[in-house]
Amino acid sequence: MNSRLATVSRTLALGLAAGSLFAAAAFAGPIEDRQEDMKKVGKAMGQLAAIAKKEAAFDAAVVKAAGDTIAESVKEFKNDFPEDSKDGPPETWAKAEIWSNMDDFNKKADDAVAAAMAMAAVTEEANFMPAMGALGGSCKACHENYRRPKQ
Amino acid sequence: MKRTIAALILLAGAAGTAGWIAAAPDPRPADSLAAHQPDLDNGKRLYTASGCLSCHLPPKEDTAADRSLPSGGTALHTPAGTFYPPNITPDPETGIGGWTDIQFVNAVKLGISPDGQHFLPAFPYTSYTHMSDADVLDIKAYIDTLALVKAVNKTPDLPLGLPVETVMRRGLGLWKMAAFEPAPFKPDASKDEVWNKGAYLVTGPGHCAECHTPRNMFMAMDQSRWLAGGPHPEGIGSVPSLRSLKARGRYKDVNDLATALEFGETLGYDKMSSGGMAAVQTNMSKLPPEDRTAIATYLMSLD
Repeated sequence: MNSRLATVSRTLALGLAAGSLFAAAAFAGPIEDRQEDMKKVGKAMGQLAAIAKKEAAFDAAVVKAAGDTIAESVKEFKNDFPEDSKDGPPETWAKAEIWSNMDDFNKKADDAVAAAMAMAAVTEEANFMPAMGALGGSCKACHENYRRPKQ
Repeated sequence: MKRTIAALILLAGAAGTAGWIAAAPDPRPADSLAAHQPDLDNGKRLYTASGCLSCHLPPKEDTAADRSLPSGGTALHTPAGTFYPPNITPDPETGIGGWTDIQFVNAVKLGISPDGQHFLPAFPYTSYTHMSDADVLDIKAYIDTLALVKAVNKTPDLPLGLPVETVMRRGLGLWKMAAFEPAPFKPDASKDEVWNKGAYLVTGPGHCAECHTPRNMFMAMDQSRWLAGGPHPEGIGSVPSLRSLKARGRYKDVNDLATALEFGETLGYDKMSSGGMAAVQTNMSKLPPEDRTAIATYLMSLD
């Protein structure tokens, strides 16, 4: 009886937790969504950068996971720039140029996805640095035009 | 820089007759230059460190133009009007091919054109003025080796229909009296050679302070808040402070910052790409490694 009760309460708790997660996702706007995606990209880039700077050993599994995360996140990210999300709150560092050059913006995002997928496919250490250069370059190409600085 | 331009236009509007006379350009005479044997490698290095090409690019729409040559014309949209950095390839008709050494030095270090106009301070002569004559002449010698491009310069579009001639010949002179201090770079004898080299590159050719130092009421750089960050010249956002980089956890050490300047986002240093910094970082990546180390040494030393 006790154990059944415990199971029921555990199920209820899980349900509540899942429900609040769902609610959080539903209430977050596109600005929060894209910033969340960018945080994932940043974290994955950090892992790759550590390998590039020889602070961490090359590990094909880490590289694959990081590359996949970046590709997935940038794909998601692309959809989070509706016309009404130019200004916050929350504070956004997206430049208005995104919306006046949406085709170019999307193309640059696609380039980043392609570079991230190429990174995920790297299994040999010798191919890592060229893939890192291409991936970092794709970040830069977009940020250069479409992200304003923050303090 | 855009705020600078806005301020100088205001100052120009408020100009009195006394200022009018004093505001005439006062270039250096040719005999003020010492004899100089140009060093082309040094010229290329400082042309890169100064970011000449980054502003003097041909317009993006001109797909036939060679973007490795500084033929100018890319529109610079600012709240104070639209400006078009000129052609600085050695074409004698439309570029600077016919310029003498002293004309080039007066332009780069004093902001005075060969025909006696003041240049808009979007051209960062307020920083370049701290360069040595020898370095400036080396840049000229290097530019003289570039392929010449025929590209006619465009007149700036000033707001409120301000007369370009008047602003260029006198109005800017008033602003210069208030906000421009031509002075050679003074090394700090208490610091080593590497630090001083970095300080020179940051202050003079690198013109970092043009964006990273806030400005006072005259739109002059506020020396008491040197490299402490400020509003972004394009009007939206801010430019980060370059002080206390280590204490604030931005960079671990000199080597970390030097690596960031060399590789930028390629190594995940994502602060190196927005707000105009991407072009700067690209230029930094082309410098000799000891220059990046010097720049990083100087910047990391700022409390």
